[in-house]
Amino acid sequence: MVPNLSNRAPPADASHETVVRLSEVEKTYRVGQVDVPALRGVSLQIHSSRFSVVVGPSGSGKTTLLNLIGGIDVPTGGTVELCGRDLRALSDDALSDFRARHVGFVFQGFNLMPVLSAYENVEYPLVLLGTPAPERRQRTFAMLEAVGLADQAKRRPNELSGGQRQRVAIARALVKEPDIVLADEPTANLDSRTGASIIDLMHEVQAQRRTTFIFSTHDPQLMSHSDETFAVKDGRLVSGGAEETA
Amino acid sequence: MMAVKLSYRNILRNRRRSAMTALAVAAGTQALLLFGGFQSFVFAGLESGAVQRTGHLTVFREGYFLYGAGNPVEYGIDGYPRIIRLIRDDPVLRPLLEVVTPTLSLVGIAGNFSPTGSAAKTFLGTGFVPSDRAHMRRWDEYGASSASPEADLEDGDPSVGFVGVGMGRILGLCRPLGIADCPPSPPQSRDRPVAGAVEEDFSDLQEKAGAANDAHGRLPRLDLLAATASGAPNVVSLYVKAASPQGVKELDDNVIAMHLSLAQQLVYGRGEPKVTGIVIQLHRSEDLLRARERLKALFAGEHPSLDVREFAELNPFYVQVKRFFGSIFLFIALIMGVIVLFTIVNTMTMAVMERTTEVGTTRALGVRRQGVRRQFLLEGGMLGALGATAGVAVAALAAILINRAHLNWTPPGNAQSVPFHIALWGRPGLIAVTWIALTLVATVAAWLPANRAARLPIVDALRHV
Repeated sequence: MVPNLSNRAPPADASHETVVRLSEVEKTYRVGQVDVPALRGVSLQIHSSRFSVVVGPSGSGKTTLLNLIGGIDVPTGGTVELCGRDLRALSDDALSDFRARHVGFVFQGFNLMPVLSAYENVEYPLVLLGTPAPERRQRTFAMLEAVGLADQAKRRPNELSGGQRQRVAIARALVKEPDIVLADEPTANLDSRTGASIIDLMHEVQAQRRTTFIFSTHDPQLMSHSDETFAVKDGRLVSGGAEETA
Repeated sequence: MMAVKLSYRNILRNRRRSAMTALAVAAGTQALLLFGGFQSFVFAGLESGAVQRTGHLTVFREGYFLYGAGNPVEYGIDGYPRIIRLIRDDPVLRPLLEVVTPTLSLVGIAGNFSPTGSAAKTFLGTGFVPSDRAHMRRWDEYGASSASPEADLEDGDPSVGFVGVGMGRILGLCRPLGIADCPPSPPQSRDRPVAGAVEEDFSDLQEKAGAANDAHGRLPRLDLLAATASGAPNVVSLYVKAASPQGVKELDDNVIAMHLSLAQQLVYGRGEPKVTGIVIQLHRSEDLLRARERLKALFAGEHPSLDVREFAELNPFYVQVKRFFGSIFLFIALIMGVIVLFTIVNTMTMAVMERTTEVGTTRALGVRRQGVRRQFLLEGGMLGALGATAGVAVAALAAILINRAHLNWTPPGNAQSVPFHIALWGRPGLIAVTWIALTLVATVAAWLPANRAARLPIVDALRHV
C-alpha cells in the first residue's frame, strides 16, 4: 500500500473536470526539404483523475501527442489546453513555470541527473518551485518511501537498478503534486517483472492521489490497467477521441 | 545552492578534462602574476630610485622645467630659505614630509690638469646639502631600493664632491679613484694646442679666484668652469672623493655632484646665492597628490612664479619604462585571455553536447532557458575560478623559489645589474584583478555554449543520443 504522499487532500470529485483538451491539433516536422506530418487533426479530452493510455505502433505519433500535451513541443495547428490554459498563448518562460507547477514527466530512459543522488533527483522539482527546505525534505523523504527507495536515498543513479531508477523518476514526477503526469513508455526499458511492479506502483499512486496519468505504451499490462485508451495510427486518433470521451 | 552543487559535481564528472581546462587557466594566471610581480618590483625600484634622487616633488621657478636647464642663473629661486621654512612649517604638509632641501643644477666644463693626466669634459652638475641627500637616499617605502653606493659628503667640507664612474674614467682619474675597468688609454700627442689652451685658461681663472687648496691631501682635484649670473666665466676647484656609479651610463659619464655652497659659488660668484629647485621627499608616495595640491595652494598667493613638478615628470625614463612594461603586460594578458577563452569554449561545448538530454530533461521539468544558461555560465566561471586559484598558488610558490635564488639582471640602459625579484606579496590588487579577470573571461567564454544549450528545442534535446 502506498503511504499518504502529502497533506493535500484529494479532490472530492474532480472526475468531470477536463484537464486536457486538444482541438484539431496538427504537428508537422520538417526533415530536410520534406514536411513529415506526425499528428493530423487530433481532438481529444481527458478528464482529471483518470489513468489514460495512448497506444499505437512505433512512429504513429504517441510521443508527439504526449509532448504537445506536456507543453514541451508546440503544435503546427489547432489548440492544446491543459488545466484550462491555452499553451500556445504562453511565453516560453510562462510555459516553463507552468510545467514546473502542473506537469510531471516520466521518461522511457529515466533521464535522472547522474550527478545527483536519488534524494536530490526527487528534491529537484521542489527546488525549482522554491519550496522551503524543511517542507522539501519532508516531502522528498515521503515520496522516496512511497516508491520504496527510502534506504537508497543517497545512491547515485548509476548505483541503482533500472527498476529503481524508474521509481526515482516516478517519485520525481509526483513529488510536486502535479495536475497531470505524462509517461512516455515508462516500462519499455524494464524487464516484464520490474515493469509490472512499476505499473502497480503508478496505479496505486494514481488511485490514492487521484492524479491524472497519461501513458504511451505498447505494453498490454499497462493497457489493462487504464481507465481509457486512445489509439493513434499514422498521426490520427483512431479511437478514444473527443466525441467518445466527452 | 542546487545550481552550485550541480556545477561542482559536473566539473568533477569529467575530471581529466576539467583538470586540463583548469590547468590552462592556472598557467595563464601564473604567467600574468609572475610577470606582474616582476613588473611591480621594477616599477617600485624605479620609483624608489627616482624618489631618492629627485624627491617626490620639486619646486621650480615657472619656466625652469622647460627652459631653465640652459640658464640656471635666470631661473634661480630668490629667497629660497624662506620658502623652505614656509613648506616645513605648514601644518598640512609637516606630517607628510621626509626631507625638504634645496638643490642647484648647472652645466659647465670640468678639467683635470694634474701632472698624471690632462682632460676636459662638459658636465652636468648638481649641488645639494650632503646630509639631506644622505637622508633622501635612505627612502625605501617598497623595500625595492637598489641604489648604487655613493660617496658620503660632509656638510662642513664644501670643496669635496664625487663624479660618475664614467666621468672619472674620462677625466683620467682611474688610478687615484681606484676605478675598475680602465684599460690603458692610447698614447696622447705631445702637440696638444686645444687642451693646452684650455689648461692655460683654467689656470688663469683659478689664480684670479684664489682657489688653490692643499688641505685635501691626496684627493684628486678637478677644475670646474661655468658662466656666472653676469655671463663671466668662473672657476672653482673640486676635490673628488670617489667615483660613484649612477646606474645609467649617460649619467655615469656626465655627473659631478658637489656641495650646494660650491655650486652656488660657481654659478653666482659673490652675488646672492639661489637654487634651481627645492626638493620635497614625502614619507609615502600615496600623499603625493595631496602634497602637490597643498603646495600649489600655498604658493598661489605669495609666490605665484613657483611651479611644482612630480618626480615622474622629471624622470621621463620612469614613465617610458612603465608604459613599455604595461604594453608587454597587456600583450601577455591578451594572449592568456584568448587561450583561456578558447579552452573554456571547447570544454563547455563538449559539456553541452554530452549533456544535451539532461538539458532537455531539466527544461521539461520547468527550468527556464535562463536557468540553463546560468547553469553553464556558472560552470564555466567555476572552472575559471578553480584554475585561477591554482594559478595564484603556483605563482606564489614560483615567486618564493625565484626570489630565493637571488638572481640578477641588467635592465636596458642600466650600467649595473639589479636584483631579479617577483614582488607578488603585498600586491593584493594584482592578484585580485588577475583572478577576477580570468574568472570573468572563463564565464564569458561559457556564454556561447550556454546560450546554445538554452536555445535547444526540448524535444530535440530529449531525443539526443
